[in-house]
Amino acid sequence: MLLIKLAFRNIFRQRRRSLLTALSLTGGYVLSVFSISMQDGSYANAIAFFTEDHSGHVQIHKDDYLDRAKIHKTIDNPNAIATILDKHPSIASYTTRVFAPALSYSDDGNTPVQLIGVDVLREKQTSRLYQKITDGNYFADSPNDDGYFSAMIGAGVANSLEVGLGDELILISQGADGSIANDIFIVSAIVGENNSPDKNTVFLPLSGAQSFLTMYGKVHQFSILLTDISDAREVATELQSSIPSLSVAPWQVVESSFYKTMQADREGNLVMLVIIGIIVFIGVLNTVLMSVLERSREFGVLKAMGSRPSKIVSMITLEVTMLSAMSIVLGLALAIPLTYWFSTAGIELPEPVDVGGIKMSRMTGLLTPTVFIIPMIGIFFAAIVVSIFPGLRAANVTPTAAMRSH
Amino acid sequence: MTIVIETKDLCRYFGDSEETMVKAADHVNIEIEKGEFTAIIGPSGSGKTTVLHLMGGLDNPTSGEVELSGKNIAKMSGGELCDLRRDHIGFIFQSYNLIPVLSAEENIEYIMLLQGVKTSERKKRVKEMLALVGLSGLENRRPGKLSGGQQQRVAIARAMASRPDIILADEPTANLDSKTGIALLDVMKELNEAHDMTFVFSTHDEKIMSRASRLIHMRDGKVELDERK
Repeated sequence: MLLIKLAFRNIFRQRRRSLLTALSLTGGYVLSVFSISMQDGSYANAIAFFTEDHSGHVQIHKDDYLDRAKIHKTIDNPNAIATILDKHPSIASYTTRVFAPALSYSDDGNTPVQLIGVDVLREKQTSRLYQKITDGNYFADSPNDDGYFSAMIGAGVANSLEVGLGDELILISQGADGSIANDIFIVSAIVGENNSPDKNTVFLPLSGAQSFLTMYGKVHQFSILLTDISDAREVATELQSSIPSLSVAPWQVVESSFYKTMQADREGNLVMLVIIGIIVFIGVLNTVLMSVLERSREFGVLKAMGSRPSKIVSMITLEVTMLSAMSIVLGLALAIPLTYWFSTAGIELPEPVDVGGIKMSRMTGLLTPTVFIIPMIGIFFAAIVVSIFPGLRAANVTPTAAMRSH
Repeated sequence: MTIVIETKDLCRYFGDSEETMVKAADHVNIEIEKGEFTAIIGPSGSGKTTVLHLMGGLDNPTSGEVELSGKNIAKMSGGELCDLRRDHIGFIFQSYNLIPVLSAEENIEYIMLLQGVKTSERKKRVKEMLALVGLSGLENRRPGKLSGGQQQRVAIARAMASRPDIILADEPTANLDSKTGIALLDVMKELNEAHDMTFVFSTHDEKIMSRASRLIHMRDGKVELDERK
């Protein structure tokens, strides 16, 4: 207690100097918290957008379908897989899909499209396809009275072919058995806008797509949403052991290029934070060194009385750590409301950004304990490192020489 | 009688060459017995402070030995010397050297904290020491709010609190007026007589040296005369 009292009083000996040092530490802390919150918030939003938009948190494919997609690489027993998924407590929802390239025709032209067959009911619970409809209605699972399945088409396809709601759309592709697939579909909805990633996509009901591609009862993909995205790797590993014949991948593998870019960007940001920290702590080092030089005589007395050098180093470290702790308390008082505001209200973007067909008009931060704890650990660690050099200087004074100094 | 501290052919030379070398202590042989109240006297530059520093393990001799309770402290490591000073030697300095941000009682308590004395025992001893030096009631004052004489009394209490074998005082009254200086010496003398505490102090004040029971006269780093009253 006496040591803490001594450290506290030493900090307040030069109030103005300590206050300025504390303010620079506080500024560094708030800046770090805000920076991490903004970066993690942006990535969390982006990850939420694409996982909830189309990729899901975990995907299941046949073999290397993820890297080399071929129509014949199918999951032949989707019902057996569904039984396993239904029992897993971490899975919120899942859907099945088939993919194929196709050529679309109308009376006014043709255009290549990406064909995606989706489970009409499950897709609604697993992706944002339903929310991305800009015109028309979500399609039905069964064909209409004339025997035609409905299709939802990207805005780009609609514009290229000049087709609208209720118009006929002809698709030509290759069936899984090698046959030529062609059929007529009725446009029930327009998805996204001209600049959306889905602009050249045609969505079909799963049964319609399976029938069209002659892959009855087979799918290419299971897309799974979890109750907690952070469990993705763990759940993928568990599922992989349950389904060894198929490939199970978490979103970090499915969207590996995004994930690698994100990690590289995080490392870049960390370097920036370290540079900010070094600048702040050079100031702190200067303050502590000044304080140590001014108190040389006292350190000489303490050594004469029998203080071991390690005791003096720990005394300086305690002072710097306490100053850092006070700065962090002040920093938290500023950073918590600021981060709360940033995570709830956020910053309005001058121009809305289209992310996966979803309009993003606001940048929001992340409010988690990690956002506050990481800079806190950084500051305490740096405080200890910074205090070592002045501490050693204080500890190595010669008592007789130091007591002669003024 | 028990010998508390003994110097044998103790030398401390400053400077590298023969021409510039200063012999601050030159073959000094002193034996201090338990309970003695000894003054090392001599003019400025005679080597009083150097001998006290060597006795207290604050400086290393060029040659010779210092034995404290039979142990040669001249050969001890830095850490061992720290422990020795903490547990066996009390210091009183000319300019008090109290920690300015600590109160009188905290200054006294600090050395016991280094020794690992329990809080309750520390508080008890602080009270006793302050009473012994006549400063009861001033325990919460910081050095800046105490007179020179009061600060030096706190320094005496601090030196006593660790229960050392010997207290070394370097010109303890030099910064005080003669009346306060004599009063302070009387306090030290009372502690010496009442508690059998061994004191060695340096001075060049004749009024002060008259209080000592033994006078060691030094000149040019050598003991010129050792007289017991």
